[in-house]
Amino acid sequence: MVRLVVAQAEIDVSKCTKCGVCWSICPTEAIKWEPGLYPERDLQYCYGCSACVDRCPAYAVTLKPLPEPRIVKTDVSKVDYKLVKDLCLKAGFHPKQVVCFCTGTRAEEIAAAIILGAKTPEDVSRMTGARTGCRVECIQPILRILKAAGIEPKPKPGRHAWYGITPLLFEIPREVREKYAKRGFYFDQDEQLFRKILKATEKV
Amino acid sequence: MKSGKEALIHPPIPPLPPIPSPYGVAPEYVKKRAYELPNIVSINISELFPWMPKPIYPPPDPKAIREATRKALEKVDMSMIKPHHKVNILGSHHGFTLLGGEPYAEMLKTIKDVVEEKTGARDVRLVLGVGLRHRENEIYIRRFKLDEYFNGKAFNVSPLDPGIPIETEIGTFYGIRQIYDADKIIHAHNSDVREVHFHRHVDRAFKPFGMSYARLETRSAYHHNLGPRGSNFVARAIFNSKFVQEKWTFASFLRASPIGILGVYADNNLDRLDKKLLIDNLRYYGAVMLLLSKIDECIAVLDFRSPVPYVFAGGVIFANFTGLNIDLFDLDNPLPPYTWYTEAYYDEFNRPIIPEVPPVNPAIKAIVINYAWVGYPSVFWPKNIPTIIVGRKQADVYKIDPQNAEFLKYAVIAEDLEAAMEFAYKIAKTDKVLIFDGVYGSINMSKSLAEYLIEKVPEVEEELKKRLPKWLKQRGLTAEEIRDLAKYYNEPELEEIAKLF
Repeated sequence: MVRLVVAQAEIDVSKCTKCGVCWSICPTEAIKWEPGLYPERDLQYCYGCSACVDRCPAYAVTLKPLPEPRIVKTDVSKVDYKLVKDLCLKAGFHPKQVVCFCTGTRAEEIAAAIILGAKTPEDVSRMTGARTGCRVECIQPILRILKAAGIEPKPKPGRHAWYGITPLLFEIPREVREKYAKRGFYFDQDEQLFRKILKATEKV
Repeated sequence: MKSGKEALIHPPIPPLPPIPSPYGVAPEYVKKRAYELPNIVSINISELFPWMPKPIYPPPDPKAIREATRKALEKVDMSMIKPHHKVNILGSHHGFTLLGGEPYAEMLKTIKDVVEEKTGARDVRLVLGVGLRHRENEIYIRRFKLDEYFNGKAFNVSPLDPGIPIETEIGTFYGIRQIYDADKIIHAHNSDVREVHFHRHVDRAFKPFGMSYARLETRSAYHHNLGPRGSNFVARAIFNSKFVQEKWTFASFLRASPIGILGVYADNNLDRLDKKLLIDNLRYYGAVMLLLSKIDECIAVLDFRSPVPYVFAGGVIFANFTGLNIDLFDLDNPLPPYTWYTEAYYDEFNRPIIPEVPPVNPAIKAIVINYAWVGYPSVFWPKNIPTIIVGRKQADVYKIDPQNAEFLKYAVIAEDLEAAMEFAYKIAKTDKVLIFDGVYGSINMSKSLAEYLIEKVPEVEEELKKRLPKWLKQRGLTAEEIRDLAKYYNEPELEEIAKLF
């Protein structure tokens, strides 16, 4: 799948209170804002994710359908696939693994975007459309692949679109695994499953 | 007078009506409900499994919920709540999907009343977390006048809202700041199994700490970082943190079941509460899930005010029916046929990356969406099972949803429910129909399916007896613990469960 952009946000300034929440959560930084001013949209990067619609406290933002949908994607074929595969593996992903369930974006596309110059989750979102569906579930894979590429971005001050990377199964210490072994978490068995997925990369 | 199988087959039960929502088609466009189709009947779960307890709701009696809540709270220590404290009663949108939401709303209001009476605290707030429908609780706050009841302090919070880091024994996760912006917190939830595919009923009672009360970073970790059986450890790790424990007071849970609300449990000890709910749920929901797992072929009709995976029949959500070709409670099965870990492991040709990915339930021959909301990425279903949406207006809702932009690439649109069913019958080649319309206590289905399932009940009873001990042991429960719980909750019938070990 690709990111199909079918609508964009529209701000009704008669309702807007200039609070800046839309600016602080936009996954593609498609909103420009400074305190005391109305926000302005960058239509090139508004993918109609509706984060601003959903969190505007004044209900000042709506989605307007586009006359024609447009497609957002990074063409993986433009990048040396060995580099893509190596980066995905280093981050703990099979390249074909879906990391954004809303857009169907796979790890290989995220990796390709990073190899082509993406330095932040916002850059990745602009280039692939990932993070512009539910805006929630795919931040960790993106941060993990960035980190595997040696990039550890910091959130922009004032924004809370994302905060940071969180723990991974491989990192859970032995003593924690043993403490909870009887509860049903099956850490070791799930780690074996993850390693099987990574081994399947050999066939790609 | 009817006898035998016929005595167990009843007229269909009307479901709750559609409601205005930013996530669903306007109610006036839901022209016909699935229960109105020809040859639809209902089966009553209590008649099939007469050992299930009698619910206190339905019948729809808010007084029964208030009394059950007050009684449960009598045992709870509230001495840690001081009169000058800010107290957050934490809830989740999920509770409002049960029986129209009234039981959950009543429990929440009663908790406030009792806390104020017992502790003298005056700044008691209601903070409600959501799933992926970021304004969903605004519907329920209005509907049940919670803002008035909580003196203007009833809030809907989203994983997109400002967060707070929480240091746990495995590292940093992030909570929603407003959830924890209080001196003390009360965990007000329900025991409905719902997302068995995600939590696998491991630490179920803790789940909101890793989900409804959590920021997007934490939820992403849940679904990508810790494994299909380890996911809910996020919740446990956050709950056990010093940060949360300093604010912790007690939990109050609606005891949900496939037949209705059985009562309310409240406890300062969430671990003990979780174990009791585990036993209840594996029995009650286990029975219905085993029954539905016997279905060999059907058309699934979705007809309820929830997104595709969350519409339910007999208390079992559609996402779990999608996976009932395996035993979802058996932790020896790593991957449910539907869960996000599973969905991740299909390549661009929709082939599994590894052979361990189980197929979706082959019994589902077609899906008809008569009424189901957006606000959850649901393309997995039309990609894997022929799907027909009823009505252009409803299709338009899917088309504009950022979480489902490609849904209509894979689903087809029928003008009305009759046309959708005609098409479904042709491709499914079965007349068995299972309706996911959220009815409680009974399940609406075709007569052919009802007759088929009634015959399976004795087999299901035997299987439940065999599997229950394994399910419980996998989660660390012992016969001795079950006996302790029987004493604490004054439910001597649990001795029968302990004997199964």
